[in-house]
Amino acid sequence: MKKRAEQVVAVSGRSRKPMVPWFFLAPSLIGVVVFYGLPFLDVVKRSFQDAMGTRYVGLDNYKAVLDNTAFRLAAANTLRFLLMCLPLLMLLSFGTALLLTAGAARRARRADSKGQGPYGILRTTLVLPMAIPAVSMVLVWKIFLCPEGVLNQWLSGVTGQEWQVDWAFSRWAFPILVITYLWKHMGYDMVLWLAGLQAVPGELYEAARIDGAGIWARLWYITLPELRGTFVLAGVLSVVNSFRVYREAYLLAGSYPDSSIYLLPHLFAHWFLSLDIQKMTAAAVLLTGALGVPAWGVWLLKRRKGGRQL
Amino acid sequence: MKKSLIKGEKGILLLLFGVCLLVWIPLLLMTAAALMPEDELCWRYLSPLGLGQAPVKAALLPSYPSAEALAELLLRSPGFFVMFWNSCIQVVPMVLGQLLVGAPAAWAFARFRFPGRKLLFAVYVILMVLPFQVTQVSSYLVLDRLGLLDSHLALIVPGIWAALPVFIMERSFEAIPETLLEAAYLDGAGEWGAFFHVGLPLGYPGIVTALLLSFIEGWNGLEQPLTYLKDKTLWPLSLYLPDIAADKGAVAFAAALVTCLLPVLVYLNCQEELEQGVAASGLKE
Amino acid sequence: MRRLFGKPMAWLLMAALLVGMTGGCQKNAGTEGDGGFRTESGSSREPGSQSGQEQKTESAGDQGQASGGPVAMGRYKETEIALPEEMGTQSLIRFLRGASGNLEMYTVQRDSSGSVAEAFAYVYKDGSWEKQAEWAGTQVLKEWNLDLAYVDYGQDGSCYLGGTDSKYRYHLLRIDGDGSAAELLEEVFEPGDGREYGLVPPRFEILDDGNILVYGYDQVELYTPSGTRRLSLAKDFNGSTSDARGFAEGKELVVVLEDEIVRYDLETGQMTGSIAYDEVKGDRENVELFGDGAGGVYLAGEAGLAHIGQGGSLWEILIDGSLTHLGMRSLYLQGFLAGEQGEYYGVFSGNMGKGIQMFCYEYDPDLAAVPPSVLTIYSLEDQSTVRQAASQFQSDHPEVKVEFRTAVEKGGTVTEEMIQSLNTELLGGRGADILILDGLPAASYVEKGVLMDLGSLVDELEGSGTMLDNFLEGFRQEDGTIYQVPARVGFPLLLGEEKAVQAYASLETMAAYQGERPLMAGHNYENLLRRLAYLLSPELFGNRTIFEKDGLVRYLETVKALGDANGSKIVFTSEEEMERMWAGNYVRKSGVVGSAIHYDNKMCDSGLEEIDGFGDLAIPAQVRVQNPQSQMVPVGKIYLPTAMAGINRSTANEELAKDFIRCLLSVEVQKEDLYDGFPVNREALQQMADQEHDGYMVGSGVGDYSISAEWPAKEVRMEAAAMLEKLTVPALVDETIMKMIVEGSGDYLDGKQTSAQAADGILRKLSIYLAE
Repeated sequence: MKKRAEQVVAVSGRSRKPMVPWFFLAPSLIGVVVFYGLPFLDVVKRSFQDAMGTRYVGLDNYKAVLDNTAFRLAAANTLRFLLMCLPLLMLLSFGTALLLTAGAARRARRADSKGQGPYGILRTTLVLPMAIPAVSMVLVWKIFLCPEGVLNQWLSGVTGQEWQVDWAFSRWAFPILVITYLWKHMGYDMVLWLAGLQAVPGELYEAARIDGAGIWARLWYITLPELRGTFVLAGVLSVVNSFRVYREAYLLAGSYPDSSIYLLPHLFAHWFLSLDIQKMTAAAVLLTGALGVPAWGVWLLKRRKGGRQL
Repeated sequence: MKKSLIKGEKGILLLLFGVCLLVWIPLLLMTAAALMPEDELCWRYLSPLGLGQAPVKAALLPSYPSAEALAELLLRSPGFFVMFWNSCIQVVPMVLGQLLVGAPAAWAFARFRFPGRKLLFAVYVILMVLPFQVTQVSSYLVLDRLGLLDSHLALIVPGIWAALPVFIMERSFEAIPETLLEAAYLDGAGEWGAFFHVGLPLGYPGIVTALLLSFIEGWNGLEQPLTYLKDKTLWPLSLYLPDIAADKGAVAFAAALVTCLLPVLVYLNCQEELEQGVAASGLKE
Repeated sequence: MRRLFGKPMAWLLMAALLVGMTGGCQKNAGTEGDGGFRTESGSSREPGSQSGQEQKTESAGDQGQASGGPVAMGRYKETEIALPEEMGTQSLIRFLRGASGNLEMYTVQRDSSGSVAEAFAYVYKDGSWEKQAEWAGTQVLKEWNLDLAYVDYGQDGSCYLGGTDSKYRYHLLRIDGDGSAAELLEEVFEPGDGREYGLVPPRFEILDDGNILVYGYDQVELYTPSGTRRLSLAKDFNGSTSDARGFAEGKELVVVLEDEIVRYDLETGQMTGSIAYDEVKGDRENVELFGDGAGGVYLAGEAGLAHIGQGGSLWEILIDGSLTHLGMRSLYLQGFLAGEQGEYYGVFSGNMGKGIQMFCYEYDPDLAAVPPSVLTIYSLEDQSTVRQAASQFQSDHPEVKVEFRTAVEKGGTVTEEMIQSLNTELLGGRGADILILDGLPAASYVEKGVLMDLGSLVDELEGSGTMLDNFLEGFRQEDGTIYQVPARVGFPLLLGEEKAVQAYASLETMAAYQGERPLMAGHNYENLLRRLAYLLSPELFGNRTIFEKDGLVRYLETVKALGDANGSKIVFTSEEEMERMWAGNYVRKSGVVGSAIHYDNKMCDSGLEEIDGFGDLAIPAQVRVQNPQSQMVPVGKIYLPTAMAGINRSTANEELAKDFIRCLLSVEVQKEDLYDGFPVNREALQQMADQEHDGYMVGSGVGDYSISAEWPAKEVRMEAAAMLEKLTVPALVDETIMKMIVEGSGDYLDGKQTSAQAADGILRKLSIYLAE
């Protein structure tokens, strides 16, 4: 009995068997160090070297990167893109996940209902976009966006004027990229939200309902606090995914697109092509700092304010 | 009461169908294109395919439906099957490995306090966020040193240790109520027992979600196979498309459909598993 | 609904998908096949006992090989078989196993007009070839006055001949025992109603029952000896099967149809199965098929010799083409046969069927399955001269395996990722030994030190006096180093009167040109943009003129003015393309789309042609004959280098790599005309220029206008060779910038923007590019 009590304490955070977590962690840690840690250290090392890694150049690469107008433009655009996309994506995907859960719950409460009804299809529908290869999807976007495309035809019909805008190459490229990003990745975040929502204990809602809390009150006082962890999760993963939007951007508008959607991955790709890996690694280290600091901050915040104390 | 519930559900459904319409229309366009004979595809989509300039005549249904492209793909392209199986060989072990290695790690991060935990977790997050391009050369060198290049292992092994599933699973383990664990310990469970009997069943939604997302990501991965696999007989399905999109439009669309079929089927299964898993855990109603 | 999308349904769909895939593959492999998909994917990685398979496994784990593991042994060894000397001037008609079981060859000697003067038969006995002095066919052909086209034997041993008479009518003759000939299927080859010519089949085949298969260009027909048509098979409506390749064995016809090998039952005419052969086909269409006597199929081609069993689904590669002459680009495979002791024989010819060579392939268990050391060549796309050199190098160095890796298949798209994955290797200090730099960021490679300095190698080559130094020197850096050399060159050739020729001097003179007609022929604007960029590359790119707004605006305005004058468009509709026939949407990298005929037809004041070989001179030379006042000159000193070769600095095979460059630039490799450019080797250029092509004829025409030309005269060829000596300026255009200009100028050229607006748009992107 005494032993058990000790272990409970261990879980609560003051472990008397300090090795236990390491047993759980070790298999993962070793691999992560080898396959991701070492490469990252190599990246850091390369950021202080010349292109072929033959000699050290100190902070020259960092200076070169920070002075580089292309880097500044790309960094600013990327920031703008993130600020635009992240809130939109989180809001939209959370909204849909909420609607799906709420709808399914209502259906489940109905006496005559069997199975998930239309919700299965709806959920699957929203996941589909992320499974479709970008190459094919971009062809579909081009059907809408090219000068002779559906969008121009529709505008011509509505306004009575001849429209022949090559949208992907115009200054509308930025909103277009945002939309393709949202279209593709909404399912991703939605899956995360759904998992989060499912993990919220049902008793909490029951209790709240008995206390007479309305829908909004339940959302505000139960759902949102419970999902704080998922919020961080979805946020970080959306940032990860936002770097992948390059594939669509590249396929849609080429390697040198309108300067509003010239993003960091464009620059990285070009540096890679011209073997300027020293600049790329320096920029990557800067990027890591820029992303890591706020991400860590949010994470710490979550821990402090975390709904349940462990 | 019942009536208002149904009414509320109708509103929800309407909204959801609105959202889904935005997905369905492009998808229908694509499906229709996959079922068009090559010449119909040409006169409809001359401009988007980059073959010339002519007004697009978009269609949600082909005028002359034809399984030509699908047949070409499924019956006459042996390369397609080899690549399909390569994808399976590369992705399935990777996902299983992630479960084996990632779940305990996530459990450690979620349920223990130990020195360096926060720092280590932050490292995991940072390694996850970095775009592949950045570490491409360095990772290549590591794999080269280990002699893994140009084999299925070049994709499987690093994939197993991806930080992303750990990150997602950590979140779901963390959400398990402390009381349940305490009960388990009181029943005589050891550390591993608690993990297996409480952690895994209750963390189910997160685990499945993590593996599902990994699966889809691995299935559609482009950069890694292209960098690590010189031998084209090892290439996965995701590299089939870029090769043909140039001239065979209909086949490209058909291949897109077939490519996303498996991930979607996996999702359909997972979805059901998720429902049942949650129900079994007794967390919900 | 739940049922439909619930779990059972999903698993069912998944299972159906997998079954569907397996089933699809089975069908693919032939209906009677029992080899499902698993065999295919599984065993394609298994080490087989023969070289092709070994090679794959070896490349998968090159670490293991290096560390001295057991070396797989056994490979087919290629040995050349000497042919009678007089065959050097003869053309091969047929290589086959004769009625007596010996190997036989039928050849013809052509006269200078290209028609057959005499036909010969040779028999292979006891390791040497003997001429059959008493071959009955010689006499028969004389009597019938036939131009021999094909020979085959019937089951009874009688010889069948096919050939055309002076009216180009085909006759199929059977030579009977007494030496007399009987004509068969006379009506089949008669011209149809209202036609000038009848069917002239590339091949025929006498079946065991005496029936005759006639391989036409779009189908195969089966006739009885009396001329009744029994079947009509393998109809190729797309016409994509240009050569009639196939064979009959027993009651089965195996033939290439579209992109597959298909089997037909010769009794019912039904298709009974199909075999995909993409993986063993290689990059050339030229393959030979033959049976193994047990329902299996052999395929010989550029990729090597492969075999597939009856009902099998997996090709087994017996001979790796790249290790033998099968992979050599200058040779055409004319026949491939299995010998009696497990050996194989291959017969090749050079251009026009001349230069016959024969090789024997014997399995040698003591030869390492794969040569111990490997020299790798990397190129984004296939390149004929490099492949030729690889093959030549291979036969000079049997101890080295030359591996030619290409990133994309013919016509494929090169993506950023492909170059990135190459860069990954290079940055990691690995990668191929030889890099073919066409389409790669060569300037960055030079700047970052990826390439080896070839300065001393070039000095050595130049010292020997055999090279065209002007082409090698074009890439010498200011400090005397040299990192890349072109293996082939082409050049833009200009036709026109003095005034028009002068106008090509600069942007200014082009813009200022005032003539009766537009200066140059119209085409799509991308070609026009490219044409100016390449022709004026020293001015526009070398002097960085178009990096400034003024210069860029002048360039765009010049293009627009030229285009307005000659009716260029951004994109022609397909109707316009059909109507005009003069201009299309086809884009050529240098923008120089042949326009000598436009000039000849008085549509413009000058004509341009990109000349990549002596054959390309035929039309321009003819145009000059028809326009005596016109000049035929290069544009300035511009040439277009291709097949740029460099050595990876981190190669472990420096000496081999240098030897390869020497081989690539050697007379043996350079003298072959592979239609991809001129030699950079003076002696090879001389040899190529000396070659005559009897019966060569090219023509072109639209509407009322037509022109035809013969192989250019010796003086013209010498003139061009002399021009090549004087070209010193490689056209170097940054493709990234070129793309920006093409993309950014569309609205201006279409009249929707001003030149300044377009220039601003382009410069915005350009400044980002330059800042990177």
